[in-house]
Amino acid sequence: MRKILAALLIGAAAAAGAGAAMAQDGPLRIEIDQGVIEPLPYAVPDFVPETPAASEYATQIARVIAADLSGTGLFREVPASAHISKVTGFDSPVKYADWKAVNAQALITGAVSVNGNQLTVRFRGHDVFAEKELGTGLQFNGTTDGWRRMAHKVADAVYSRITGESGYFDSRVVYVSESGPKNDRRKRLAVMDYDGANVQYLTNSASIVLAPRFSPTGDRVLYTSYESGFPQIHVLDVGQVQRKVLSSGDGTMSFAPRFAPDGRTIVYSQTQGGNTDLFSMDISTGAKSRLTSAPSIETAPSFSPDGSQIVFESDRSGSQQLYVMPAGGGEARRISFGEGRYGTPVWSPRGDMIAFTKQNKGRFHIGVMRTDGGEERLLTASFLDEGPTWAPNGRVIMFTRESQGSAGRALLYSVDITGRNLKPVKTPDGASDPAWSPLQN
Amino acid sequence: MQTGTKISLAGHGLLMTWVVFGAWFPSEPLPSNVQQVALISSEQFEKLSQQRQAPQVSPEPAPLNEPAAVQPAPEPAPQPDPEPEITQPEPVAPVEPDPQVTELPEQPPEPEVPVELPSAAEAPEVSSLVPQVRPETAPRPVDRVAPEPVAPPEPDTKIDDIVQPEVAPEEGAETEQDVQEATAREAASDRIVTEENEGEDVAASAAPAVSKRPKTRPARPQPDPEPQVTEAAQPAETEQTDTADAVADALAEALAGGADVEAPEPSGPPLTLGEKDALRVEVSRCWNVGSLSTDALKTTVVVGVSLSQDGKPDTGSIRMLSSTGGSSAAAKQAYEAARRAIIRCGSAGFQLPPEKYSQWRDIEMTFNPERMRIK
Repeated sequence: MRKILAALLIGAAAAAGAGAAMAQDGPLRIEIDQGVIEPLPYAVPDFVPETPAASEYATQIARVIAADLSGTGLFREVPASAHISKVTGFDSPVKYADWKAVNAQALITGAVSVNGNQLTVRFRGHDVFAEKELGTGLQFNGTTDGWRRMAHKVADAVYSRITGESGYFDSRVVYVSESGPKNDRRKRLAVMDYDGANVQYLTNSASIVLAPRFSPTGDRVLYTSYESGFPQIHVLDVGQVQRKVLSSGDGTMSFAPRFAPDGRTIVYSQTQGGNTDLFSMDISTGAKSRLTSAPSIETAPSFSPDGSQIVFESDRSGSQQLYVMPAGGGEARRISFGEGRYGTPVWSPRGDMIAFTKQNKGRFHIGVMRTDGGEERLLTASFLDEGPTWAPNGRVIMFTRESQGSAGRALLYSVDITGRNLKPVKTPDGASDPAWSPLQN
Repeated sequence: MQTGTKISLAGHGLLMTWVVFGAWFPSEPLPSNVQQVALISSEQFEKLSQQRQAPQVSPEPAPLNEPAAVQPAPEPAPQPDPEPEITQPEPVAPVEPDPQVTELPEQPPEPEVPVELPSAAEAPEVSSLVPQVRPETAPRPVDRVAPEPVAPPEPDTKIDDIVQPEVAPEEGAETEQDVQEATAREAASDRIVTEENEGEDVAASAAPAVSKRPKTRPARPQPDPEPQVTEAAQPAETEQTDTADAVADALAEALAGGADVEAPEPSGPPLTLGEKDALRVEVSRCWNVGSLSTDALKTTVVVGVSLSQDGKPDTGSIRMLSSTGGSSAAAKQAYEAARRAIIRCGSAGFQLPPEKYSQWRDIEMTFNPERMRIK
């Protein structure tokens, strides 16, 4: 009897133990590995004008901020017609419940004051659902002429706080402006804000210009000009509009220049005796050194952001492919292995990706791949896409898209590196060969 | 039968047999392979070897096609430029001095008496006050990406995360009835649609997924970011000689299995897999990773939250417990996206069984964006 009782007790104890094991240990744990990808709704009511002359800027600055943020495709503006609250003072408390009701997840409030030609812009970002400020508020002082830049700076700060990466709105783009028919196209260098505003021309249209490239500090532009009848590399000081020819006209053709990250050296292609190789040149001394010496065509060089490597295109394998080599020259390793031909590689400012043009089965694509050639992803497909350039934060790519036919023209387009948000960039005329500047200080 | 006939029959029989089965036994020998060998002199061999060692160097390489970019420009015709003559490049205004940036003081705390706000009807129209902003070009529609594709809803249907049918008051009803507007989830696809992969299967892309180059070294095995192991109670030992000791040991061990949990201890039956899954789906509908940086998309965060009995999250209780994979800045962005998901989708209360409140009062949610990176 005693044994039976013991056995029953043991059985009951074991069952209790098993029950305890099945019960939850600590808080409930779940893993979320699926979500949605959609623009984040935000609201940017008109900034509060603190002086009478500021009312015009207060509205315009809010609109430029909205155009910047919504233009990324990552954010969606809640229109003013849906706003319940009105921001009447910069330091007035925010009625978060009103912004939650219209599903605005971020809110940007600001104030503008004008004193003579001096403009002051203050702003704050708010995380509506957390009912907290997004970081600390900032104030920008400048002139009324620079109101767009100040709006871009506010948008950059908001973008950075929400996404965690730096913005790209306070930047410029140099490109080749094209006008006239295809058989008599006039080209001149132009520079504009990233969004197409404030276009200014840097050269006249007397000679053909190609492939402008910004220096790492954005103060100089390298480009190729046919002014002497032969392609030669010029460097232009954007502020002073002073030009200097870098390559000599000794029967060689020099083209496809690009700055090294230190801004003192350039790398470019030179054709001599029917062979095209890569060279580097010290801008101040003019000292040249040869980087490749193969009987094939090597061109379109681009530095890695740390300056240690160069990616370029070459047909040494029989078809046009991408290669990476040390910045001082040396053995190159091929990184592109897909179908078709690859060209115009550009290293991302972040250093993790390379953008390129790909031609395959009669169509052109802009694509990105890792620096070892892995994870190739094509972002676009059209009759003719080429010449990618990276936004300063490495998130967006701008490129040239040329339409088919005799009436076809070249235009600039931009696309997110995910392939989303493909859209044209507004320019007064046709445009090609864009090069994005670094973020302005 | 005459002898001649017999001989004829036998002869024809043999002939027919040979015709039918003869081919089975080929008598001809198989043709043997013959290789012709030529002798070369040692000078010739040396010459060939030299060529193999340095095949790329030849005294006169074949002329190469010049790249299109360096084609000499057509001589510009000396006709007058129809444009206004620009002899000097237009000077560019020097970049304006950088705006001075100063940090603002903290916003004053909200006063007790709220400011009276004007009604929504007074909201000014701003669309006509945009003189210098470029007009909206027509970008490609930004597709929404969700765990499962959602068909476009009927036009005029209100977009909401919760799908509700329309409820209209009945004709002639005497009592007051609740009117409910029909809602539907926003249209979505289950992957990012680009111009390149539009209308085709992503897997059909000709591009290789990885480089064909061998990796220099195998990837270091990553430790499991959060091993969620619940310790099972040790089974009670039954092979004991002393029954009294066995009973005491078994009771002690069994009780020790559940004694690890600190108070407040969840009691009652745990959530079923289906109930857990429903909660997971509810949160994932609001977890928007579309505005996260690539670094934040590599960061897994574990967020703790306490819920009230009506299933609503206590906003003040939401906290980041741990993060793996990214920088602290990336973890902050990832946590903020997770917090928004919990608050937004929990605003109406998560659909959880009230009788099991003690089980879901405190929740740890792991937000792992790995699968969202490759959409």
